[in-house]
Amino acid sequence: MKFTITREKLQEGLLRVGPSIPAKTTLPVLSNILIEAKKDGLHLSGTDLDIAVATTVAAEVDEEGAITLPAKKLTEIARELPASPVRVTSAGEQRAQVECGKSKFRLLGLPRDEFPSFPHVKFDTPWRIAAKDLHKLISHVAFATSTEESRPILNGVLWDLRKDRMRMVATNGHRLAKMDVPLAEEGGAAQAELIVPPKALEQIRRLFAPDDLVEIAKSENHLGFRSEGTQVFTRLIEGPYPNYEQVIPRENDKFATVDKIAMASALRRMSIVASDQTHRIRLSFGGGTLKFSVQTPDLGEAQDEMAVTYEGDALEIGFNAAYLLEILKYMPTDEVRFTFKAPERATTAEPVGWDDAASYMCLVMPLRLVD
Amino acid sequence: MTARRIAILSDAVANRIAAGEVVERPASVVKELLENAVDAGASAVAVEIEAGGKTLVRVADDGEGMGREDALLALDRHATSKIRSADDLVGVATFGFRGEALPSIAAVSRFELETASAGEAVGTRIAAAGGAVTALEDRVRQPGTTVTVRALFFNTPARRKFLRSTRSEVRACTEVVTTLALARPDLGLTLLADGHAVVEALPAGSLADRAAQLFGQQLAATLLPVDHASGSVTVRGLVQRPAEAAASGRMAYLFVNGRPFRDPFLVRAAERGYRATVPPGVRPSLVLRLEVPAGDVDVNVHPAKLEVRFRDRYAVEAAVEAAVHEALGPLAASAPYSAGSAMPWEHRAVAPPASAGLARDLFGAAGGDDAAPSEGEAPAPEGAAAEPPIHASELRVLAQLHQTYLLVEAPDGLLIVDQHSAHERILYERAMRTLTEGAAGGQKLLFPLTITLAPAELEAVEANGDLLGQLGYEAEPFGGSALIVHATPAPHARFDAERCLREVVADLAGGRFGGLHNRVERFASTFACRAAIKAGQPLTTAEMNELVQRLMAAELPAHDVHGRPTIVQLPLLELHRRFGRR
Repeated sequence: MKFTITREKLQEGLLRVGPSIPAKTTLPVLSNILIEAKKDGLHLSGTDLDIAVATTVAAEVDEEGAITLPAKKLTEIARELPASPVRVTSAGEQRAQVECGKSKFRLLGLPRDEFPSFPHVKFDTPWRIAAKDLHKLISHVAFATSTEESRPILNGVLWDLRKDRMRMVATNGHRLAKMDVPLAEEGGAAQAELIVPPKALEQIRRLFAPDDLVEIAKSENHLGFRSEGTQVFTRLIEGPYPNYEQVIPRENDKFATVDKIAMASALRRMSIVASDQTHRIRLSFGGGTLKFSVQTPDLGEAQDEMAVTYEGDALEIGFNAAYLLEILKYMPTDEVRFTFKAPERATTAEPVGWDDAASYMCLVMPLRLVD
Repeated sequence: MTARRIAILSDAVANRIAAGEVVERPASVVKELLENAVDAGASAVAVEIEAGGKTLVRVADDGEGMGREDALLALDRHATSKIRSADDLVGVATFGFRGEALPSIAAVSRFELETASAGEAVGTRIAAAGGAVTALEDRVRQPGTTVTVRALFFNTPARRKFLRSTRSEVRACTEVVTTLALARPDLGLTLLADGHAVVEALPAGSLADRAAQLFGQQLAATLLPVDHASGSVTVRGLVQRPAEAAASGRMAYLFVNGRPFRDPFLVRAAERGYRATVPPGVRPSLVLRLEVPAGDVDVNVHPAKLEVRFRDRYAVEAAVEAAVHEALGPLAASAPYSAGSAMPWEHRAVAPPASAGLARDLFGAAGGDDAAPSEGEAPAPEGAAAEPPIHASELRVLAQLHQTYLLVEAPDGLLIVDQHSAHERILYERAMRTLTEGAAGGQKLLFPLTITLAPAELEAVEANGDLLGQLGYEAEPFGGSALIVHATPAPHARFDAERCLREVVADLAGGRFGGLHNRVERFASTFACRAAIKAGQPLTTAEMNELVQRLMAAELPAHDVHGRPTIVQLPLLELHRRFGRR
């Protein structure tokens, strides 16, 4: 293997693949980056066995070949190299020499055979989706996944692809986020319900620019994304996803429109005194005001209030303040509309006046008030 | 006129009757003579026994001694130097005061008393047999008193028959000497049994040193210092670290104003101070020295003065419980890395949650007996109660070991924290607060859980429905054997509500944790155990820091609900020692 590459191209490739390489691993080859020199350029790949990232960068290849080298060291070297072309030559299966200007490195690696092979995903009939739509879905929904490991399905994001729209849903069983984005052009592939690890979605948000058109294809239990020479593969979580549509309330008859920033700052103030276990706060809606109160034994209590537009009978309801704050954080508009039914029923939140073709809603279950 | 049938008994008979009460066995002789020696201001006392005291008991002191007339009078009943009038009985500070001991002992033995007071040139020797003086002569000797009692019960064969084996009598004498040694650490005490030194205690600087002399360094290293005052009651002493308490071989010594006494209720109060840190059946050793105003305790209720009566029992019990609880609080109470390591952590003042919180639930639970706390016991200021005993800022979490232990750097060494036990302790205290002070509403679930249970488990759910509800579980029967759960507690981000409920219910049905005496404690510890993160759970740095901080804010950070330690400490000194730096 023998190739020459500009320092910038090398850095760019390493930057793309680097974050997919696990910091700690029991399988030494996973700390390495797979480098394949081919006629069409340099292919770089990394994986933690759940998610794999591969990218191609332009290089002048004199002799095809492959090797794996320690990702961290290679990245550090690339960062410190002088601004000259970088020449990489392999010597046997597990040694490589890196030369740049007067700098010279000999690195020990591992043979390419030890590197796990990537999942085989055929991009015959892919979905084609604008990366900016993916970004929008991921950044508004993925936060709501569960971090607790007993129900793996809830650790994933449901991605529901239809002919004319796609939807992402995430929930931890206490709160839920859901967004629909219409698809302008026919996606091409059949409709599907996929459960995707949020870590993979994070890579997608990181690797694809908003203007990219991303091709997505599915195999038995993997999903592949590709655009502009970069590919991401992820394991899918096996379903079925809980029937979330059934729990989205249709009969909520109390409505409150609130200023997002004012509500968030009141919630943060209340949180200081709220129990660090439940973050329980009490919200009282009535007339044109929303009153906050919190009482924590051994600590103290606090009250606050703000003006809101409220329709419906007066209501007292308890929440985990952290859940409300999180929802407000992801709401794209200054005003947010909440709907309620009763103190023990689900509450919904939606943006008000969002100038976007997408539709977004969050749902949060209350904390029972006792007294 | 009929002949008089009632006669005043002669002194000899009366003394022999009194001897029946006061002198029961050789150990009683040792006790009486030892106490006399201490009351005489001795600084060193040597006790010698032969055949368990059956043939010889000799107690020699270096106290103030007696003049000849006093010495003769001492053999008369109710002759004492210790009190003069009935008023003196209130607040009597000496061990003896009845004036019964010497005549009683002399009445049932071949008795010999040698004494000299500091001012006299010549001392006195008195010999008596069965209470009758047989010799009175001059004797030159050092100031002090030596009493030799031979052939105990030679003239009361019935009593003699009831003496136990020599070994058993030696043990009883040892116990007497040990007890006194704990009462007076400053005293030099030796006990020689048939020529063997059984107790050899030089004057000790502290109770802890004395305990090491008597029980060995190894056991003494498991004892934690107690120092607590509430109102007019002061409690000092030593209690055993929960993790090292055993089910048998416990030692419990109680003293009030320096006087040993027995009181199973106070011992139980001390055990209550351990809360749920010791498993059922395990009995921690303790030495507690109470100081109360002289007028608040009556020591004259038992011939051998083994029992005392407190004017305000509740206050004393509460103080003992609080004292033990407080002693377990500091970091120093955590288990050391090896038995020999010193404990470098200073005994930090524990936040008074101790007195304020404790008094509240103690008396709150007793059913509104408000009279109990004494006047001096002002509630601790709110601010003080919230302050954690150890500043968590002084601690730095270094790493997680084997996904089970946290390695924490502390100013004086290293702490190894068991993540499950630590979390369990935190959740237990929280659950207890929730269960005693009100209720926590549960987090409603989007997708209700359906759980199928065995009949015994359903019964357990029914029996503990109120407590489950208070903690935040909202469940209702669903069909024959299923339970549908609409709301659950949410104590932490890794909480698995379904598994926790299943396990709690199985534990309750299976009678695990059955020994804890109170249903709420039992339930809270079951829940805490099941809700806590498990060993094998990887944690983020932020989570580890939070865990350690919460643990340090807990009332008893160093002990979990099963009596295991949550923290093992490796003092820097120990490390230095192992690497040969010291």
